[in-house]
Amino acid sequence: MATKAALEALLRDRKLDRTLIGHLSAASADEAGSPLALPALDARLLGGLPRGQLSEIAGAASTGRTSLAWAWLSAATRRGESAALIDTFDRFDPASGAAAGIELTRLLWVRGQAISKTGAAVDPAWLPGVRMVSGPGTLVERAVDRALKALNLVLQAGVCTAVVLDLADVPLAGLRRIPASTWLRVQRLLEGGDAACVLLVPLPVARSAGGVTMLTGVSDALAGGVRWAGSHDRARRLAGVSIAARLVSPRRTLCGDVGLEARVDPSI
Amino acid sequence: MFAALTSLSVSRAALVRAAEGCTPRFQPMGPVVLLDVAGLSRLFGGPRAIGDELVRAVGDARAAVRVGVAPTATGAVLLALGRPGLTVVATAGELAARLAPLPVRVLADLERVRLEGAVDAAAPPAAPASGWGHPRDTHQAQRTRRPRPACRATPDGSRAARAALEACLHTLHTWGITTVGALAALPAAELSERLGARGRTWHRLARGEDDRPLVAWVAEEAFEAALDLEWPIEGLEPLSFVLARLLEPLADRLERADRGAAVLHTHLHLVSRDVHRRALQLPAPMRDAKTLRTLALLDLESHPPAAAVDRVSVLIEPTPARMLQWTLFERAQPAPEQVSTLLARLTALMGEGHVGSPRLVDAWQPGAFALAAFEPAPPATGPADAAADGRPLTCALRRFRLPVPARVTVADGRPVRLQVDRRGLATGAIVQAAGPWRTSGHWWPAFAGSAAQASTAAAGTSPAAQASTAAAGWDRDEWDVVVAGGVAYRLSVERAVGQWFIEGIVD
Repeated sequence: MATKAALEALLRDRKLDRTLIGHLSAASADEAGSPLALPALDARLLGGLPRGQLSEIAGAASTGRTSLAWAWLSAATRRGESAALIDTFDRFDPASGAAAGIELTRLLWVRGQAISKTGAAVDPAWLPGVRMVSGPGTLVERAVDRALKALNLVLQAGVCTAVVLDLADVPLAGLRRIPASTWLRVQRLLEGGDAACVLLVPLPVARSAGGVTMLTGVSDALAGGVRWAGSHDRARRLAGVSIAARLVSPRRTLCGDVGLEARVDPSI
Repeated sequence: MFAALTSLSVSRAALVRAAEGCTPRFQPMGPVVLLDVAGLSRLFGGPRAIGDELVRAVGDARAAVRVGVAPTATGAVLLALGRPGLTVVATAGELAARLAPLPVRVLADLERVRLEGAVDAAAPPAAPASGWGHPRDTHQAQRTRRPRPACRATPDGSRAARAALEACLHTLHTWGITTVGALAALPAAELSERLGARGRTWHRLARGEDDRPLVAWVAEEAFEAALDLEWPIEGLEPLSFVLARLLEPLADRLERADRGAAVLHTHLHLVSRDVHRRALQLPAPMRDAKTLRTLALLDLESHPPAAAVDRVSVLIEPTPARMLQWTLFERAQPAPEQVSTLLARLTALMGEGHVGSPRLVDAWQPGAFALAAFEPAPPATGPADAAADGRPLTCALRRFRLPVPARVTVADGRPVRLQVDRRGLATGAIVQAAGPWRTSGHWWPAFAGSAAQASTAAAGTSPAAQASTAAAGWDRDEWDVVVAGGVAYRLSVERAVGQWFIEGIVD
């Protein structure tokens, strides 16, 4: 044990301790956190999403995954940090983002290709009964490819310290086609810096060893789903979403469920 | 020894040329040009000969040129403003006697001249003749409109200062003080008690004392370079070497002159005899040759020339260099060079109008927004951070920028089933629905039959906002629904045609 401790100390002296396999201490994790300004979640995350790491927020639609991502961007921009949103399919609604508290002047919005069946360039992959075409030719894959290149540029520049890559609407086949080495390169760009990167995905895709996976809508213990206000048909309105988030990060000894309530802002 | 030159009938440019012909140390101040003539006696002779030479240098004998030569700069300007023709004062003792009969209003004129000089110094000097066929007023106009930190140098500040001058003159007239000599004879301390700092200043001016040094005017250097190529080049890679060769010396010159590039003009003379002109407006003064070359190349990548290039010309519009004060208490903001390069690279990748910072627009149209340049603001103070912690979590709306057509079954006026042709979207029975919320807008251009009103309504917004708001008017009902799978959608139905769309997903 003494030899192991001495070796680890040597590695730390040479700033090579990131290569150590083991649990991070709570103190070191706390220093490197990028908080979401949600006390319940930040407490579980030991201060927030880890800087210098690739994390992910994964979940199905209407489980609160985007709300969590916007909350993180909101907290980062309100701290004075510059944030970036790589919006693969141009889904970001600025009014919704402003309602979530994002300071839009500090947000770099990289808008991808808005894809709809009504568009002139129809992607065959989205039509029912048509097999997804392999290769880089489809509109979806080109959009994903551009988004990944944009992410690469943003991380290389080091301008933004909170970066979200929105892949939530990419079909699973398209996500699986992204090579695993892509995420290794992303992690390599993040290492040693103070930027944190979050993937917004429908299913867990990738996270770095020290990163966090936040799964929304999978908890059995917590009730998630859409909340309504008003009992009568004509008085009813959408009140919000109950978010049941499960945190997974073995290296940071994080594991557990967190329940959060998101409300619908009248301005959206 | 100083000389001041002014005229009511000769342009300021002519006065500046006359001053340039005599000495390199001169300072234009509104309609007056102040010269340091201390070393000119070997060239022209005594003070009177210097004055005669200045009158001759203006060139127009009929012009009512006023020249004052005095041991102090203040004395020279007061003589030029207050006495016609050439007035020469060789000694300080004689100066007080010459200034004494001048009307006290000349002191106010001197302050006005200084105010105009301050505005002139804040505004950029006239552009040097460069032979370039581009309008140089775009960047310069923006600079003059930019708010100045010192309010004294702004036109608004000047107006306020002029009003204060008139008030001070009125006070002196009520005291019976009408001449400079009478003012100089008053006790300085008591004048300062009654008129404040201006009283003390005017008392010094009335005695011909200088309260500030002459700041010599330096002509703005032209930062331009050109290279004729022996063989025409095609493609950006060889062009990058040419640009590097042109930009590196220019960057060195900028650094020596303590200037930064505000606008980078690149002119590519093509073999087809056309000139491919690109002007790159930089968000902050920068002079790093590598950054400038990268930005120029990325711009040319987006707007490539139509033919091979046989001559490359580069012109930089200079601006005072950026000064940055670091702080220990705030997070360092990214350098403008980094931001510019990143934005240029992202724009080259994603296309124009796809990179920027979103802005809300004053419109009721759902999804309306504007896209502005990404210029991260300095961090806010502590209380804002504290307020962020108590902020409730808010639902996000994932908006389909191109709404997805849907087939909706309606029963008893409420949607009960949702179907779409697109894969990846949950459909089926609608288990909960709230609505309808009716909105309409932008119907007035068609109603008035005037397209001009449409452009007026969209005026004042960015092109992106115009693109999003200048669409046809809308008249629709919105519903929030949840389908059996638990997905919450925002639906809309166009009332004119009855077509349903999925606007977005509440997530």
